[in-house]
Amino acid sequence: MLTPVPHEFAIGGVYLPPMLIAAFVGILAALVTTRLLNRYRLTKFFFYPPLVSLALMIIYTVLIGTFVIGA
Amino acid sequence: MLSRKMKESIKVALAMTIAYGISLSQDWDRPYWAGFAVAFVSLASIGQSMNKAALRMFGTLMAMVVALTFIALFAQERWAFILTLSVYAGFCCYMMSGSKHAYFWQVSCFVVLVICFDAGPDPVNAFDTAMLRAQQTGLGILVYSLVAIFLWPSRSISAFNAAATELACTQNQFYQACLGLAHGQGDVPEVRRLSALGVQAKTNFDQLLDAAEIDSSDVWELRRPWRRYQQQQIKLMQALERWRESLAEVEALHLRRLLPNLETFGVEIDGRLAQVAQMLDDHAPQRVPQSQELSFDKAALRSLPHFHRATVVVARSNMQQLEQLTRALFETVSELKGFGTTTVTVDPPPRLPAALFLPDLDRLANVIRYMAIIWMSWLGLIYINDLPGGAGLVSFAGSMGIAIANMPQLSVSKLVAPAAGSVLFAGILYIFLMPTLSSFIGLGLMIFAATFAITYLYSEPQQMLGRALGLAMFVTIASISNQQSYNFLSVANTAMMFPLIFLVYATTAYLPWSPRPERRFVRLLGRFFRSSEYLMSTMRWDPAHRTTRLERWKQAFHAREVATLPTKLASWAPHLDNWALSSTPMEQVQTLMTSLQLLSYRMERLLGEREKLQAPFLVEQLLEDMRAWRIGIQVSFQRLAQSPAAGEQEVLRERLDRTLDALEARIQEVVDNIPDAHYSERDAESFYRLLGAYRAVSTALVDYVGNAATIDWAPWQQERFV
Repeated sequence: MLTPVPHEFAIGGVYLPPMLIAAFVGILAALVTTRLLNRYRLTKFFFYPPLVSLALMIIYTVLIGTFVIGA
Repeated sequence: MLSRKMKESIKVALAMTIAYGISLSQDWDRPYWAGFAVAFVSLASIGQSMNKAALRMFGTLMAMVVALTFIALFAQERWAFILTLSVYAGFCCYMMSGSKHAYFWQVSCFVVLVICFDAGPDPVNAFDTAMLRAQQTGLGILVYSLVAIFLWPSRSISAFNAAATELACTQNQFYQACLGLAHGQGDVPEVRRLSALGVQAKTNFDQLLDAAEIDSSDVWELRRPWRRYQQQQIKLMQALERWRESLAEVEALHLRRLLPNLETFGVEIDGRLAQVAQMLDDHAPQRVPQSQELSFDKAALRSLPHFHRATVVVARSNMQQLEQLTRALFETVSELKGFGTTTVTVDPPPRLPAALFLPDLDRLANVIRYMAIIWMSWLGLIYINDLPGGAGLVSFAGSMGIAIANMPQLSVSKLVAPAAGSVLFAGILYIFLMPTLSSFIGLGLMIFAATFAITYLYSEPQQMLGRALGLAMFVTIASISNQQSYNFLSVANTAMMFPLIFLVYATTAYLPWSPRPERRFVRLLGRFFRSSEYLMSTMRWDPAHRTTRLERWKQAFHAREVATLPTKLASWAPHLDNWALSSTPMEQVQTLMTSLQLLSYRMERLLGEREKLQAPFLVEQLLEDMRAWRIGIQVSFQRLAQSPAAGEQEVLRERLDRTLDALEARIQEVVDNIPDAHYSERDAESFYRLLGAYRAVSTALVDYVGNAATIDWAPWQQERFV
C-alpha cells in the first residue's frame, strides 16, 4: 500500500490544492503518452484519439491524486 | 543615433505612460482600457496607426450601441441575452474574415462582450460602463496619435511611393520572364518566384495605400486615380497569370510564325510596363503607347490541326487583353504623376445586377467554433461555482477567441508559451515591484520600462502575437487604478483562467471538423472536386432549359468555391507536419498545389467560354462528341472528390488522346462537309476558344492526377493525437 505524500503543496507560503497539482501532472503525463503513441504510430488502433486523450488525462489525474498525492 | 525599432518602442511606451497619467489624474475608472487602445493601435507609420485607430473607435461606438440595446432588451432574460449576443458575435466573426475593415468587426464584437459581461450583472451602471469604455479608448487613441505626430513622425508616403515603384518593376520583370517562356527561353522556377514576389508587392502596396491616404494630402487628393490604379493592377496580375498558364500549351507551337508581329508586340508591352515604373519613380515617359494588333498568319494557322488552332486563338486573346490593360495602366499613371497631356476620362462602372449572397463554408465553420467558445465559457460561468475569472472568463475567451477562430491553422499549443511567459512577467511586476512604488513618477517609469521592453523585444511583424499577449497581460494583471490594491489571488486567478480558456479553444478546434492540417487539406480537395463536378454537370447543351434562380445561385456558389479553394489549400500546406510528410517531400505537395491552381484557372476559363453564344450549326453537329467528353471529365472529378488519389495518369492520358484524335477527325469531317455560309469567322473563333478551354481542363486534370499519385496518402488518413 502506497503512503500518500503531503495533502497540500505550499510554494512561497501559497497553498495550492492537491487536485490542481494532480491535474497538472496528469495532463503532462497524458501529453507524454500521446506523443509516444504518435511517435510509434500506435494511434491507428484508436477509433477517436481526441476522446482517448481526454480519458488519459482523467485517468492519470485520478491515479496520481489517489495514490501519489493522496487528495 | 537611435534605431527605428527603438524609436517606435519609445513612442508606444511614452504614449502608454501619458495615457495612464491623464486617466489617473482625472480619476477615471479602468485606465487600463486606455492602455489597451495604445497597445493595439500602434503600427509602423502614422497613417497605418490612424487607420487602425479609426476602425477601433468606430468599432467601439458601434459596440456601445449594440451592447446597450441588448442589455435594455434582455436585462432579465439571460438565455435570450446570451443567444442574441452569440448570434451578433457570430455575425461579426463571419464579417471579419471577408471584410476590408476586419479590425472594425473584431473590435465591434469583443467590445460588445466586454461591455455586456461587465455591465450585464449591473445594468443600472451599464450606460456609464459603455461610455467609460468609449472615453478611455478615445483617450488612448488621441494620446498615441499626438505622440506619433510630434515625436519622430513616420509618414507612409515615401514607403508608399517605393512600394508602388517596386510593384510596377516586379510586374515588368514577371512579364519579361513570361515573354521568355513564350519565346521558348524561359526559366519556370524564376517565373514562379516572380509571381510570388508580385503578390507580396501588391499586398504591401494595398496596406500602404490605405495608410498614405490618411497621412498624405497628395495621396488623398488623388485617391480616386490611385484606387483605379489598384483595380487595374489586380486585373493585370490576373491577366498575366492566365497568360502564363496558357503558355505551357503553346510551347510546342511556333508562335512567332503564327503571330508574325509577336516580337514587336512583346517589346511594346514591355516598354509600357517599364514606362509605368519610370513614371512612378517621377521620371517623364520617353514615349507614349503605340497601337498594336496581334494578327494571325492565316495560312500558317489553317495548316494546324483544329486543337492547335484553338490553343493559338486562346493565347492571342490573352495577349490582346494585356494590350488593353497596359494601355489603361499607362494612362492612369500619367494622370497620377501629371505627365498626361489630357485628362483620362473614365467610364462609370457598369451597373451590375444585385450580387447573390454566397456563403463561405470556411467562414461559417469559424462562426460555429466561435459561437461554441462563447457558449462553453458562458455555461461554465453559470454552472461551475467560483470559476477563475468569473464573468471576465467569457469576455476574455471571446476577445481572443474571435482572432483564434479566424485562424484555424494556428494550433492552440503555440499560444501556451507566450501566454505563460506574459503572465509570469506581469505577475513578477505586480507582486514584487508595484507594492514598492509610492508615486506616479515610479509607476510611470515602470509602465514606460515594461511597455518599452515588450514592444522592443517583439517588434517584428511575425512576433505580433507575443507582443499583443505581453501588453494585454501586463495591462490586465497590473490593473493600475487610483485605489490600487495588491492581491496574489488576482494574479493566480488570471493565471488559472488561461488553462481553462485554452481548454475551450482546444476543444472547440474540433468543431465542426478535425483541426488536423492533413484532414482539412483532404476535405478541401474533396470540396474542390465536388464543385468542379457540379459545374461540369451544368455545361450540358440544352437550349430549351431555362435556368432557375436556385440553379444560378448554385452555379455561382460552386464557381466561387473552385476559384478560391486553391488559395485556401495553399494556406494549409505550410502547416502539414512530419506525420503527413513522413514519406512525401513538401515539394511534391507544392507541385500538387500548382497543378490544382492551374485546374482552377482553366475551369474558370471554360465557364467563361461556355457562357458565350456558339454557332448552333456547329453545336448540333458535334453535340454527342462534346457530351461524351464532358461526362468523362465529370466522372473523373466525381472519383477525385471521393479519394484524392483516384485515377491513373496513364489511363487518363491515353483516354484523352483518344478523345482528341476522334474529335479532330470529326471536326474535320464536319468542316469539310458544310458550306462556309453556315458559320462566320467569329463563330469559328468562338468555337475554337471553347474547344481550347475543354482541352486545357482535360490536360490540367491529367497533370493533377499524375502529381497526386506521387503523394503517399495513407498517413493522411490515419488517426492520431494532435
